[in-house]
Amino acid sequence: MAQLQAVSSSPSSKFVFHAHGAKRFESYQNRDKLFCLGRLSSNQELGARSSGLHGNAVVHQKGNLAQASASRVIQAVLTGEKETDVSSSPKSRGLRGKLNKVVLAYSGGLDTSVIVPWLRENYGCEVVCFTADVGQGIKEMDGLEAKAKASGACQLVVKDLKEEFVRDYIFPCLRAGAIYERKYLLGTSMARPVIAKAMVDVAKEVGADAVSHGCTGKGNDQVRFELTFFALNPELNVVAPWREWEIKGREDAIEYAKKHNVPVPVTKKSIYSRDRNLWHLSHEGDILEDPANEPRKDMYMMSVDPEDAHDKPEYVEIGIVSGLPVSVNGKELSPASLLTELNDIGGRHGIGRIDMVENRLVGMKSRGVYETPGGTILFAAAQELESLTLDRETIQVKDSLALKYAELVYAGRWFDPLRQSMDAFMEKITETTTGSVTLKLYKGSVTVAGRKSPYSLYRQDISSFESGQIYDQADAAGFIRLYGLPMRVRAMLEKGI
Amino acid sequence: MAQLQAISSSPSSNLVFHGTKIYDSLQIRDKLCCSGRLSSNQGLGAKSSELHGNTVFHHKGNLIQASAGRAIQAILTGEKDTDVSASPRGLRGKLNKVVLAYSGGLDTSVIVPWLRENYGCEVVCFTADVGQGLKEMEGLEAKAKASGACQLVVKDLKEEFVRDYIFPCLRAGAVYERKYLLGTSMARPVIAKAMVDAAKEVGADAVSHGCTGKGNDQVRFELTFFALNPELNVVAPWREWEIQGREDAIEYAKKHNVPVPVTKKSIYSRDRNLWHLSHEGDILEDPANEPRKDMYMMTVDPEDAPDKPEYVEIGIVSGLPVLVNGKDLSPASLLAELNEIGGRHGIGRIDMVENRLVGMKSRGVYETPGGTILFTAARELESLTLDRETMQVKDSLALKYAELVYAGRWFDPLRQSMDAFMEKITETTTGSVTLKLFKGSISVTGRKSPYSLYRQDISSFESSQIYDQADAAGFIRLYGLPMRVRAMLEKGI
Repeated sequence: MAQLQAVSSSPSSKFVFHAHGAKRFESYQNRDKLFCLGRLSSNQELGARSSGLHGNAVVHQKGNLAQASASRVIQAVLTGEKETDVSSSPKSRGLRGKLNKVVLAYSGGLDTSVIVPWLRENYGCEVVCFTADVGQGIKEMDGLEAKAKASGACQLVVKDLKEEFVRDYIFPCLRAGAIYERKYLLGTSMARPVIAKAMVDVAKEVGADAVSHGCTGKGNDQVRFELTFFALNPELNVVAPWREWEIKGREDAIEYAKKHNVPVPVTKKSIYSRDRNLWHLSHEGDILEDPANEPRKDMYMMSVDPEDAHDKPEYVEIGIVSGLPVSVNGKELSPASLLTELNDIGGRHGIGRIDMVENRLVGMKSRGVYETPGGTILFAAAQELESLTLDRETIQVKDSLALKYAELVYAGRWFDPLRQSMDAFMEKITETTTGSVTLKLYKGSVTVAGRKSPYSLYRQDISSFESGQIYDQADAAGFIRLYGLPMRVRAMLEKGI
Repeated sequence: MAQLQAISSSPSSNLVFHGTKIYDSLQIRDKLCCSGRLSSNQGLGAKSSELHGNTVFHHKGNLIQASAGRAIQAILTGEKDTDVSASPRGLRGKLNKVVLAYSGGLDTSVIVPWLRENYGCEVVCFTADVGQGLKEMEGLEAKAKASGACQLVVKDLKEEFVRDYIFPCLRAGAVYERKYLLGTSMARPVIAKAMVDAAKEVGADAVSHGCTGKGNDQVRFELTFFALNPELNVVAPWREWEIQGREDAIEYAKKHNVPVPVTKKSIYSRDRNLWHLSHEGDILEDPANEPRKDMYMMTVDPEDAPDKPEYVEIGIVSGLPVLVNGKDLSPASLLAELNEIGGRHGIGRIDMVENRLVGMKSRGVYETPGGTILFTAARELESLTLDRETMQVKDSLALKYAELVYAGRWFDPLRQSMDAFMEKITETTTGSVTLKLFKGSISVTGRKSPYSLYRQDISSFESSQIYDQADAAGFIRLYGLPMRVRAMLEKGI
């Protein structure tokens, strides 16, 4: 979830809301009640609502697109700015006043605390706060319910999703070998679907007709949440306040919170935008926004600096059954416990720091730093064991599919038959990837120290320099002549033979 | 090139030569020599009796098995000949001059007399400098001639190797089976091509190499020979002769008055060039074993590396490295410089079990200090200059590219076409990357490019006119439309 940044106000006073293709969606309107900026109904509604709350709505026309600034009303309150033009045919926000109950992904931070009253105000609905424990380190659980209610929620639902997250989302990605753009181990990408799915379930439980999230309109997370909502319950309305309201930064949010008697969280805001779960901790913003800058030592939280890590290497043995890790140093552990253990071990050796510039699904490049200590160890182990159990053609196809798999997960297409079918392939092809890998951890690096498997296709008697009956060197002559026949034929063509 | 190992003799006495029938029709058009190419009985019989006694043949269904090389065995071990049947080695006595890939080591030293003896041809030794660390260059010519060669040709291929073979692979991002940076794979084609050129220069009608019949290198050499001159005969002694190990080779050398190299044989089989040093054999043959500290030669142990990190800046133009810490260097010099820098920080140690082209898995350890730095730099710069679709396609092709290079298909229009793609797509991958090297690991500390597609004003949290957050709603609805439609179908809406 995006956290509000201290951001300077934009000099431009234009608020642009595009009403894209209201016409196109009209035919869906009966069938699909998904809320969108493009969904506008009668002018009166908007006018009524606006005057009901805070004053006139401001509408700017731009060719075929009618732009509505319904939430300019908030701006009017916050900054006392004068309204400018009032034109005809304002298109009101479609579902204002039409939602009963919204399930909101809630963190207890400033932004989601502000969303609660904003939803109630702008949509006249009840708000059920939902908090998922995906290993982000939830503190003050009791305080959380009180906080949610103090901001206006009627209820707080909390679910511990750690085991489900690791077992049903992380482990399949690990087994597939899914890495996005060479480096990113998909920490945030895998978490959104498990949270969003839980929200859909909660919506059913509490009888909600809408879901909402606090993701900005600039990131991937909004896509990941909403694609999951689409896939699991297309009838749910989706509200994304960041794409609608006028709040642009921390100060706006604090203003808004005060005006609505919402307790402002006391915790000092970090200069970085972070996302944390059991798999990783991500950092963005501040000096990281210039890719020429090296991250500062004090930014990291999940791993020690490699220079400060132990001077002696540590060996760790990972036991794997059919492509999935089951034990650490001989100890069988549940998925979430196993990952936690490896985060500890990896963290103290500075393992898993990733610094990259990535291509977001929403089109721009962004720079982020990720700490993935346990995950980096697990990837190294799983891929290493595969080198014993998978043959050449298999690794080729698996690695090719893994590229696509990572793209799907990164884009939030978790609940997509394509991803699910790939998992069927991955599950089958890793059936015999069982065994153990010993890794050496030392000052930020992971090296393999040994691997074994009862299903290993490696035979010492073939590859060694001794002759054997399994492999006859003379066979190679025939093999090369046939393998190279296309090249010979082509060369003869070129030489006119 | 494979070096002879101390190995025990195989109890089996079969030598298998396959399939004369298929090749008969090609015989006129393609004079390639191969274990499968058998001509008249008399040829072989004559040669055998001339040299060493009766040949031995074993029948095996449709395949005729000849043990022409048992002739050698007879000399070496005094074994009695058993059956005598037909089908001699095809080109015995039909080759004039062979260009042999020569290293000066025991195995290639033995091949010289063996070729002369079994093929009655002249032998031109060819040595390529690809950065393996050629010592005793003058001694090499004397050594070659002492073993029976009529000539030694030496060519310095270092710049060509790095510029025309390594750099394209680097630009493509070609990595085999997740880890292998193709050090030996890239070297064979440059050597083999030079051999084909040398064969033309000296008027040779054949080429020969000292690769075993168990590895990838024989394929890499021979596919290059096929592609560049399919009329050249190819002789691969390891697939034919009876020599099975170091002792056999030393015996043979002594019997032919060939000076045996004095250098102590390592327990490991190694291949070295400017890009890497590979180790195989000994305890490495069990993948459960960790390599020994004293095995490594190109890099220091990370634990013994400096306690302070070192920063290095790589300048890249259109996907290829040109500068190290601001210094403009030729391809080979640039790589040598980075090998030094990387080596002292223990960079680039790779331990893997890989799938060979010839079908089995093998375990090897590679030291690629400079190359690992270069790969990291090139990929990092691409993260600024390549968009999403591009990176997807490039990385997908890179997998295939690596397979082609690993398999020795260098001179293949497919690889060449991929290079045309890579050259085009990396036109704007120009800029510099700063890396931090520390005890075996590399981390990126900065990257910049005048062609960067990264814009701070878009991705930061400030609003802007280039990126309007409200656009995202429309984007998501359309991007997710297939999912919505499917879900509606499932729900009967």
